[in-house]
Amino acid sequence: MMLGRGNFVERSVMGVLAFLKDAVFAQDRASSRGFLQSLDPRIKTAAFLVLVISCILAKGIPALLWLYVACLCMALVSGIGLGFFLIRTWVFIPLFSFCIALPALSSVFTPGEPLWTVDILFVHLVITRTGFLGVLVFLLRVTTSVSLVVLLNLTTRHAVLLKVLRTFGIPRIFVMVLGMCYRYIYLFIEILQNTYLAIKSRTGTCLPQRKGRQVVAWKVSALWQKSLHLNEEVYNAMLSRGYTGEPRVADEFKTHPRDWAWLVLVFVLAGVSLWAM
Amino acid sequence: MGDVIFALQDVYFSYLGRYPVLSGATMDIKRGEKITVMGANGTGKSTLLMMLDGLFFPDRGSVAAFGKALTEAAFNDPAFSRDFRSRVGLVFQNPDVQLFCPTVREDILFGPLQLGVAADQAQRRLDELVRLLDIRHLVDRPVHQLSVGEKRKVAIASTLAVEPEVIILDEPTAGLDPLTCRHIVDFIIEANAQGKTIITATHDLHIVCEISDAVYLLTKDKKVTRYGNPDDLLADRKALQENNLIHIHRHRHQGSEHAHPHYHFDHHHEEA
Repeated sequence: MMLGRGNFVERSVMGVLAFLKDAVFAQDRASSRGFLQSLDPRIKTAAFLVLVISCILAKGIPALLWLYVACLCMALVSGIGLGFFLIRTWVFIPLFSFCIALPALSSVFTPGEPLWTVDILFVHLVITRTGFLGVLVFLLRVTTSVSLVVLLNLTTRHAVLLKVLRTFGIPRIFVMVLGMCYRYIYLFIEILQNTYLAIKSRTGTCLPQRKGRQVVAWKVSALWQKSLHLNEEVYNAMLSRGYTGEPRVADEFKTHPRDWAWLVLVFVLAGVSLWAM
Repeated sequence: MGDVIFALQDVYFSYLGRYPVLSGATMDIKRGEKITVMGANGTGKSTLLMMLDGLFFPDRGSVAAFGKALTEAAFNDPAFSRDFRSRVGLVFQNPDVQLFCPTVREDILFGPLQLGVAADQAQRRLDELVRLLDIRHLVDRPVHQLSVGEKRKVAIASTLAVEPEVIILDEPTAGLDPLTCRHIVDFIIEANAQGKTIITATHDLHIVCEISDAVYLLTKDKKVTRYGNPDDLLADRKALQENNLIHIHRHRHQGSEHAHPHYHFDHHHEEA
């Protein structure tokens, strides 16, 4: 589909769509055979929580590297290609974090032993050892935490992850509403996409900015009305199948000895990173 | 087929009190019958089905099911509500409305679990239905990844999972390819043979004979007319034409253009 260079709204909608489709594609990996995919989702989520907490508490670079290498090894044995995994985890969030942490490199914010000096125009910047190590620890911590969460997401189907929330005491009704949001967001995105295609098929060109904003306003209003109507219909469909206000759902999770063995291993891994490094 | 399970008496219904949908509808539906409700778009077929499923209630007149009046007050009684919901199942016209859970498995299990069926029994029903409807490969898939035909099958499975005596289907074959359409028709015939009462809303004339013992026609003036059997309605070309169920078809024949009333039932017989 051709995109207008200046059409910000259209590009945003298509960007969101592409992201969601990518998320759907990534879900195929969660259904494939692999080490993490074979574990009980509750134990797996608890284990990843332990690892992320260790990541937050770990102070040294070796400890964080140790956790990061462990994360990469888990990705490999779960059939997640390293190239795919690194692109997903490195491209955006760590770079964004680096931008945030950049000022902390200089002696202005972190005094200490000078490591390098940089002259930019008339500004003489001193990068200190303490600042450099601080930024490095921060980046490693962010990268490792993000990688762990991405790995959990890649190896667990979204619907199952939502169910796991119940195990952690989140009320059923809340989890059910989240599940319905997840279910219907695709429907609305599809409606939006088709609307844009319909507009394009009739206008034959990119709309001017002003007209584009008008069309978006109409669409927001139409989508709002559609969602209200859908809300009533879905509620009727729930009533029709016996819903009375308190959802009842099946818990299909089963743990095996290997799940517990894995949890113990994760505790050992976390312990080593916190106390031995 | 002796006892009446649904009785509508002089039912009026309007949206927002202004737009009439049903005007003086009277119907009797007997146990084990196959009933088809026909009518053009916007004649109130879906509204009528919602009423039979105890989701909408009439402005005037009465609706009774299994000898009890269907009123909002009656559904405030949890025992009545549970009993009715486990006896009557509705397959909605839009499967995206009916399938609101993240995965197919959860959608099929939703009904039985709400109605207090034990988890292992609900699981057994799920296993039977996925085998019956040949949807085993869909069970763990998110609903938004399914095709229209797959969604329709899952919607039927989610209704059947409560094992209702009465199955109400709102345009079950709309937008389906011929093979999936055939599966749905076969399923309706099979369910009826097992003793289920089937109420279907459709405007597909070519399936009416197979899926109906009796036909109700919803007319443009919001009235309901009962035809003893589908052939009576199909023979009434004037009624079909007045209610947009057949149209004048123009095409070329041996070099000259010619026009005649057309309804898809003709093709069905020609092919046979």
